[in-house]
Amino acid sequence: MDLQLPIFYFFATILVAAASLVVTLRNPVKAALALVLAFFSAACLWVLLEAEFLGIVLLLVYVGAVMVLFLFVVMMLDINIAQLRSGFGEYLPIGGIVAALMLLEMVLVLGASGFDLQGMPNPAPQPADYSNTRALGMLVYTDYVYPFELAAVVLLVSIVAAIALTLRKRKDTRYQNPAEQMAVRRDDRVRLVKMPSEAKRESGR
Amino acid sequence: MQTVYLLVPLVCLVPAIIAGLFGWKIGRVATHLLAISGVALACGLSVWVFLDVLAGNEFNGTVYAWGVTGGIPLEMGFLIDRLTATMMVVVTFVSLMVHIYTVGYMREDPGYQRFFSYIALFTFAMLMLVMSNNFLQLFFGWEAVGLVSYLLIGFWFQKESAIAANLKAFLVNRVGDLGFLLGIALVLMHFGSLDYAAVFASAPHLAGQNVELFAGHGWDLMTVITILLFIGAMGKSAQVPLHVWLPDSMEGPTPISALIHAATMVTAGIYMVARMSPLFELSEVTLNVVMVIGSLTAFFMALVGLVQTDIKRVVAYSTLSQLGYMTVALGASAYSAAIFHLATHAFFKALLFLAAGSVIIALHHQQDMRKMGGLRRAMPWTWLTAWIGTLALVGIPPFAGFFSKDAIIEAVQLSQLGASGIALVAVTAGVFVTSLYSFRLLFLVFHGRTRMDEKTRDHAQESPWVVTLPLVLLAIPSVIVGFLYLEPMVFGNFFGEAIQVAPAHDVLGRLAEEYHGKRGSDLLLAFLWHGVQGLPFLFAVAGLIVAWFLYLEKPDLPGVIHKRLGFFSRILEHKYGFDEFNRFVFAGGARRLGGLLWKIGDVRIIDGGLVNGSARLVGWVSAAVRQVQSGFVYHYAFAMIIGLFVLLTLFLKL
Amino acid sequence: MNLLTQSYPDLVPAVPELFVLTMACIILLLDLVLSVRWRNASFLLTLYTLLGASLLTLQDIGEAGRYTFNGMFVDDLLSDVLKVGTYLLVACVLVYSRRYMLERKLFRGEYFVLVLFGVLGMMVLASASHMLTLYMGLELMALSLYTLVALQRDSRTAIEAAMKYFVLGALASGMLLYGISMLYGVTGTLDIAGVAAGVRAKGVDNLTLGFAVVFVIVGIGFKLGAVPFHMWVPDVYEGAPTSVTLYIATAPKLAAFAIIMRLLVGGLVDMAGMWQDMLILLAVVSIALGNVVAISQSNIKRMLAYSTIAHMGFLLLGIIANSENGFGSAMFYALVYSFMSLGAFGVILLLSDQGFEADKLEDFRGLNRRSRWLALLMLILMFSMAGIPPTAGFFAKMAVIQAVIEAGQVWLAVVAVLFAVVGAYYYLRVVKLMYFDDPDQQRDITAGWDARLLLAGNALALVLVLPWIGALLDLCAAAIRAIPALP
Repeated sequence: MDLQLPIFYFFATILVAAASLVVTLRNPVKAALALVLAFFSAACLWVLLEAEFLGIVLLLVYVGAVMVLFLFVVMMLDINIAQLRSGFGEYLPIGGIVAALMLLEMVLVLGASGFDLQGMPNPAPQPADYSNTRALGMLVYTDYVYPFELAAVVLLVSIVAAIALTLRKRKDTRYQNPAEQMAVRRDDRVRLVKMPSEAKRESGR
Repeated sequence: MQTVYLLVPLVCLVPAIIAGLFGWKIGRVATHLLAISGVALACGLSVWVFLDVLAGNEFNGTVYAWGVTGGIPLEMGFLIDRLTATMMVVVTFVSLMVHIYTVGYMREDPGYQRFFSYIALFTFAMLMLVMSNNFLQLFFGWEAVGLVSYLLIGFWFQKESAIAANLKAFLVNRVGDLGFLLGIALVLMHFGSLDYAAVFASAPHLAGQNVELFAGHGWDLMTVITILLFIGAMGKSAQVPLHVWLPDSMEGPTPISALIHAATMVTAGIYMVARMSPLFELSEVTLNVVMVIGSLTAFFMALVGLVQTDIKRVVAYSTLSQLGYMTVALGASAYSAAIFHLATHAFFKALLFLAAGSVIIALHHQQDMRKMGGLRRAMPWTWLTAWIGTLALVGIPPFAGFFSKDAIIEAVQLSQLGASGIALVAVTAGVFVTSLYSFRLLFLVFHGRTRMDEKTRDHAQESPWVVTLPLVLLAIPSVIVGFLYLEPMVFGNFFGEAIQVAPAHDVLGRLAEEYHGKRGSDLLLAFLWHGVQGLPFLFAVAGLIVAWFLYLEKPDLPGVIHKRLGFFSRILEHKYGFDEFNRFVFAGGARRLGGLLWKIGDVRIIDGGLVNGSARLVGWVSAAVRQVQSGFVYHYAFAMIIGLFVLLTLFLKL
Repeated sequence: MNLLTQSYPDLVPAVPELFVLTMACIILLLDLVLSVRWRNASFLLTLYTLLGASLLTLQDIGEAGRYTFNGMFVDDLLSDVLKVGTYLLVACVLVYSRRYMLERKLFRGEYFVLVLFGVLGMMVLASASHMLTLYMGLELMALSLYTLVALQRDSRTAIEAAMKYFVLGALASGMLLYGISMLYGVTGTLDIAGVAAGVRAKGVDNLTLGFAVVFVIVGIGFKLGAVPFHMWVPDVYEGAPTSVTLYIATAPKLAAFAIIMRLLVGGLVDMAGMWQDMLILLAVVSIALGNVVAISQSNIKRMLAYSTIAHMGFLLLGIIANSENGFGSAMFYALVYSFMSLGAFGVILLLSDQGFEADKLEDFRGLNRRSRWLALLMLILMFSMAGIPPTAGFFAKMAVIQAVIEAGQVWLAVVAVLFAVVGAYYYLRVVKLMYFDDPDQQRDITAGWDARLLLAGNALALVLVLPWIGALLDLCAAAIRAIPALP
């Protein structure tokens, strides 16, 4: 009857498994693909929570754009995997122990009891024609306009940063400047030189 | 008016800072012009303040509160009453004279600017001391003058003996300051305030209270406080047995001996006790102690002056002895007389020192009196002013010293304290000794045969005007201050509320009764007439005659006497063995104890354990950190995770 | 819901932020247009921006807290004081750095823009009354800082430092975000006052809340550079161009203090029993490790990095006291520390010149012979850092320690003082090198008069501030009282 629960567990399992693969897979291309899978599962979970807009944006932006770009980069660069992984085994035992203990603690602490589930009941399901996007937009441009604008500034800074850190004016790069090409006159390119005629020399002397 | 009060110390501080930091840049002339004009301004303002106070405008208030600790405000404030104003005038006037004199005396010294910086700083510190309205600022001034004194005794720091002397002065003063500080601490503890007015107001309520220093032994609170404060005064005003530093301080340049070690700084102790009169009056035990210490100093230090051959040292022992007179006056509750003597003494003793300095320059830093003599013709101004100074010191009427000293002796005579008997003998006999050594100095230096070598004699000539002008200017008050201020200071309750005397101790009041009904010149004449008939005057004249006989008529006789009384003269030459005692018991004991501690504490525990140990610890920790601080990001990230993990595990109460 | 029914947010309290943002964008565009010869225009414009922002901030200083943007932004005395401090620090940073950046060809538009965006981030942090704005401000500031570190692209060490800073910073901010999400889960709100109310309602024994606090502490610990979240500090301080180190070592400390105040005190003051214990651990380890390890450093930037760690431990002492007095003294400490740090790195900058970084301790050898004045200023700065009276550093330490003693943690005060004594060693070593050793080199010091003058004012202020110390402490206490959650 309640189909939501099995679907949730299905995608949640895939999500956790895919995320684990991201960090354990030796091949970066495969790891990136596993990450795509993880994103996809997460998007499904969001849709399940009736946040359709966010789910689709996640797919469009992360899977459609970011990850594809990422894959290109990974595939184009020749990364020495063996070297990257050299420390992995060495630190696995202690890292594993700490991770396991942390997990244990989190399981012990983060039961449902700590959160106020009664105080915050599930919202009533919205009708099918309810516009998720519109509701989000309403919030973002009114109540949350300040953090939203801040996010825009953060993006601006990251653009500035990316350009500042990567754009180089190379002296040896060749590029065309059409305006310059158009403005060229004959005199710039061709020079007529007058030369006195010379007598033919004897070869060999 | 408050601005003026603030201005007086500041116009001394500013030149001190400028001369100290930028003296090398602005040059000698600018330095001394700056310093002299600063102090001259301070002097002028002080006179203005003095006149203003005489007109009845006293002031007591906080200028600036710089902190509060434990509910006690730490303040900078001024208390301007007649006592303060008198001290201000004396301090700034003598300081001004010394500033001018220094221009001539230090002319060739490479540390010229540094010297001006020090003496201007000293004037500032001394003014802060006398103008204070609370114990903390008093202590600040107290330590600051001590510091400058230390710096100035060791001014010629290449000189081994100067370094030894300034160290000695510093250490001995520490002993006194410890007592002083403990006294202030007790005041704070029991009165809950450091403000003079508040403390004096509540002092009568606390009289008779006991304090248990050791469990089960109740001691009178006021006695303990005042004795501790007096220990401070003993250090600064060089009373037996903390006097040993003053003679050695003569290693410093002569202007300093005049300014700090004769006229002003050493009188800080006297001033302090007078200022604390409301406390001292509450303990007869302390007053007796004060009187005994004073009379010991007055008489025995004068005796040592007899056998000294260094011209400056004779004057130094004379200073000690005169400080003893002031202390005796304090013990007899004749505070006004003590301050009166302080003022007259400041003038004539500064005069004598500067005159001695003038002689020393003329003889190219020869200080041994056995190699002087007959300088009268070569140095008429110095000779004349030295005579005036000596007559004032000895107490020949109508010179200033006569009035102030006679007032003290009269006061002691009238005192009913247990120690007044000893004190009277000491101060009266002291007059004879004073007269003897003073005229001995005068005759040996200016009269009789010349005993210096040819070359020096031919070069001996009067000092330049910058030296003689202060001499003349100081000679004037040495003559006139006595009869001008005798009536107001001794008979007239001049200081008003500043000095409080219990009726039972009011010797000056009783003295005034003896001259009941006389005023103005009548009073002066009566006092003169009484003084001339008295024993002290006879002693003074006798000293003059004996000195004339021994050092001019029969110059061989002193040597004979010296040999006959070998034992006594040896005692005197060793200055009663204070130095030897200190060296053996304190210095030696400390050294032995130190050696022991060094071997066990320093070498084993500190060097072995702490120093090398901490170095090892630093090395060890650094090595460990370097292991972790490897430069690898994942190490760092891992450290953060571990940190998170530790916090979670330790602080999450599952 | 209709857009028209929404009231338009009151922009007046946020005018300084808007001004800085606008100016940053203008400078960004201008830099595109202006030729290289006009670089100084961007520089001056940046300074004028800071000046204008401080005037805008100062004009309503002292007024009661004003909220806007749906309660996400607050303009109170705390934010105003921190903002003005930030402007002042950053203006000094710019002036000190000018020649250094010019010589290294880093004197570019991006530099000013990023600095201004960093300032904007700090301003947002100082004025945050909502977890979301707090986090946005944090990220804005951090992103600008990461980029600034990497700005010197040809320097391997700078790139490496930036990478470390970025990765670890992302980790820390992830943890902070995780903690914040837990808080949201428990209290159902991101509004800081709402969180405080929620915590009160839930009771302090709530395990999830405790869990959240640990993560928040980790985030704060990273920003402060407290052990064991300090590992980035030495590497970044050393690797970054000195002018950027100067920036990182000064104003962000005030921002970190703002996070503590807004988040830990404003939102979680009821959890104090728990975070106090954690901060005690962090503070003690930071003071101990920072001071001990600094001794064995030979690079002065690195040495000062470890000294920062120790100083941040001292700052935490004031927080631990958990009283108005304690917070006030911690604020005073943060202010004094950032100005000391400003001066100390400023001296390093002034001594550096074309192709020469004065970042070794040896470079300070015999400085007194080369420049008495600079040596004297450095002496004051080192004395102040060591906490020797009568410098401001002494009073800052004293205030913090007094607060700790009042809170009954006498042992903590004793430990702090003991390690402060250990710390005095390496500060005084610099003094010893400057005054008692012979110089290795005879480079002329080519710093400009503007930087020299400002540095002199900076260092002397640490001594001359003496009469106003009480007033400053009072100001800090008043700023603290602006936080609504405090009893």
